[in-house]
Amino acid sequence: MLFPYALIAPALLALVAVALVPFLYTVWLSAHEMQYARVGDFAGLANYRALLGSARFWHSVWISTLFIALAVPLEFALGLLGALVLHRGVRLRAILVPVLFVPSMMAPIVVAILWKIMLAGSWGLLSYNVLERFGLLEGTSVLASPDLALYALVAIDVWQWTPFVMLALFAGLQSLPATPYRAAAVDGATAWQTFRRLTVPLMTPLMAVVVLLRLIDAFKVFDTIFLLTGGGPGSSTESVSLFAYKTVFDFWDLGTATACAVVIWVMFFVFSNVFYQAARRLLGAF
Amino acid sequence: MRARRRTPMLLGAALVVAMAMVAAPSARAWTYREAARPYAGQAITVLDEITPLQETMKTLVPEFVKETGIKVDYQLLNHFEVISRGQADMLSGRGAYDAVMLHSPQMGLLLQADVIRPIDDLLARKELTNPALDLDDLIQPAWDSLAKFRGKTYGLLNWNYNVIYWARGDLLSHQGEKAAFKQRYGYELGPARTLQQMRDLAEFFTRKKGETLAGQTLQSDFYGVVLEGIKGGTTFWTVWTAFIRNFGGDILDAEGRPTIDRPENVAAVKLWADLWKFSPPGQAEYSLIDVPTVMGSGIAAQTLAWSDFVLGIDRPGKSKFAGKFVYAGSPANARAPQTRSAETEPSMIVISRHSKRPEATYLFLQWMVDKATQQRLFQAAGGAGVPIRQSTWNLPVVKQSPFAGLYAAMQESLRYGRAKPRAPKIFEIMDVMSGLVQEIALGRKTAEQGLKEGQEKVLAICKQCTL
Repeated sequence: MLFPYALIAPALLALVAVALVPFLYTVWLSAHEMQYARVGDFAGLANYRALLGSARFWHSVWISTLFIALAVPLEFALGLLGALVLHRGVRLRAILVPVLFVPSMMAPIVVAILWKIMLAGSWGLLSYNVLERFGLLEGTSVLASPDLALYALVAIDVWQWTPFVMLALFAGLQSLPATPYRAAAVDGATAWQTFRRLTVPLMTPLMAVVVLLRLIDAFKVFDTIFLLTGGGPGSSTESVSLFAYKTVFDFWDLGTATACAVVIWVMFFVFSNVFYQAARRLLGAF
Repeated sequence: MRARRRTPMLLGAALVVAMAMVAAPSARAWTYREAARPYAGQAITVLDEITPLQETMKTLVPEFVKETGIKVDYQLLNHFEVISRGQADMLSGRGAYDAVMLHSPQMGLLLQADVIRPIDDLLARKELTNPALDLDDLIQPAWDSLAKFRGKTYGLLNWNYNVIYWARGDLLSHQGEKAAFKQRYGYELGPARTLQQMRDLAEFFTRKKGETLAGQTLQSDFYGVVLEGIKGGTTFWTVWTAFIRNFGGDILDAEGRPTIDRPENVAAVKLWADLWKFSPPGQAEYSLIDVPTVMGSGIAAQTLAWSDFVLGIDRPGKSKFAGKFVYAGSPANARAPQTRSAETEPSMIVISRHSKRPEATYLFLQWMVDKATQQRLFQAAGGAGVPIRQSTWNLPVVKQSPFAGLYAAMQESLRYGRAKPRAPKIFEIMDVMSGLVQEIALGRKTAEQGLKEGQEKVLAICKQCTL
């Protein structure tokens, strides 16, 4: 009876040690006064009140929400399109597929440097040779403009993660059973009907997982923003992760920072559950 | 006769030998080897920031280890990690590091937390302190403004980074440009000595593609000035100390209360924002690394830049304009030269309150700033570095360096630079202000609006901001 539990015990223990304990400690810290890095008296919800009363926090939540609302649908749509093209068969697919892994495998610092070289105003490869040369952008650069910087960061995220979505969905398409498709062909279904009535329902569980993964990952975006805009111009690209980072490492306000970590976790928890339930009931995923 | 003449000579010689024997013990008494004898075998961990100069220092550390027997784990990390890891270690009381490099803005928080060990008692211990340490030789006002607080000394000056004026000498010395400039502005073209001249030069040299510059037709737009403009970084530090203070303003008054929207500050920020009209369009994303890159690529005439970054650009093979640059101290305000100020970042490695080996650590820190070590450091670095001692300016390797002009500029800037006020929330203030001045420079807010908003936001952070 106990044997299966014994088998998973080491993994569970490791999970508790590396995930649950630090999280519970963070929750505990968030309910205490923090003087520098030292724990003070019990503070109840004071840190949460300070955080939730901060306009800056809510602004950063809005920026992160906007970021995922723009980036994830684009990544999904382009990824799905690419996966369908790959699945239909393209020339040099054996070479193309490994190449598609490259952006997702890049370290965030490399991605940031690469796009800095592309987009830097007045000397960036793309900025100088295309945007400025053809008068598409004058008097500013994409990363220096409060109106464009967030979209540039979204574009970078789309560039980096669309191939991942594409490959994940392509793998899913490759594993679909052939029989229903043969039947559909016999019945004279069009390509669109086949896609809508067969491919989408069969792929829904995988699509839901991929979207959920991307939503979680996109909400955590930090490195490229930190390195390319520092949250500016003004506060136009300050995501919630950057806000949390600054609160800890620049401002040393650990009380607010731990409260922020817990609030973000709660947001994720609620969002993931809603998404899970919706995907399960409405789409039959999971 | 000969014997009589020889007697005074022998007596004289005997006297010299006797004096030498008396004098010798005191001259020879102090060595790092002797001073470190009680601590030989101890292991210390020191955290410093990685730069070419610190990497060179790392190559010298084995000399100290060999001489003293003190084992030194000299760790070099990037700027952000030094701050986050070093500060976390000290504030948490973990004590993994015996000594940590601190930037002057960190001092407020760490002094408030009482985690920096003062070194006055160590300095006073004759067996531990090199009599030839010559603290008067440390560059001022950098050291005093950084290390001394309420009668205590918290460390020895170890870093001395500074912002200098950097321009294209080939353009400033071009006869056609000189004549045109004089005709337009009424004075000789040369490196800007004042912020107002800097603006004139910026305006004068800003040209569109197809216009001529120094007799050549421009293939792309050329900009009169480039400045750091990214949010964070050192953007607002420079606005504060190289502009606002030069206008007689400040962001905190003598009691440490915020004075963000005072008229001098508004005037200074207006001038700074005005320079953006003559800057590359991407300036709001330019960090302190982009500024030298832009200067090296030859699309801007002048800048205010961190001098150590110049060392990486003004070298053959690094920029086609290498050898054509000129330097000067950070410019003054022509209308208030008496309030001259420059952006500098004196820093030091401090002993953590939690260090269990303060004596061994102190010996190492002392050795790092020792005249002999500094001399070897500059020789090993090929005459490229940032001095912490006055005597370093006179070293042959510095005087004969191809960067002699740069060193003169550094020396001038350092004369007017001082450490930041000891304000525990200074990084929060800088973060708010760097975003606001960006918006002012981008025309989203007027200087009056932006600084008024800044005053409100900074007051929400702290009403009495300094210790």
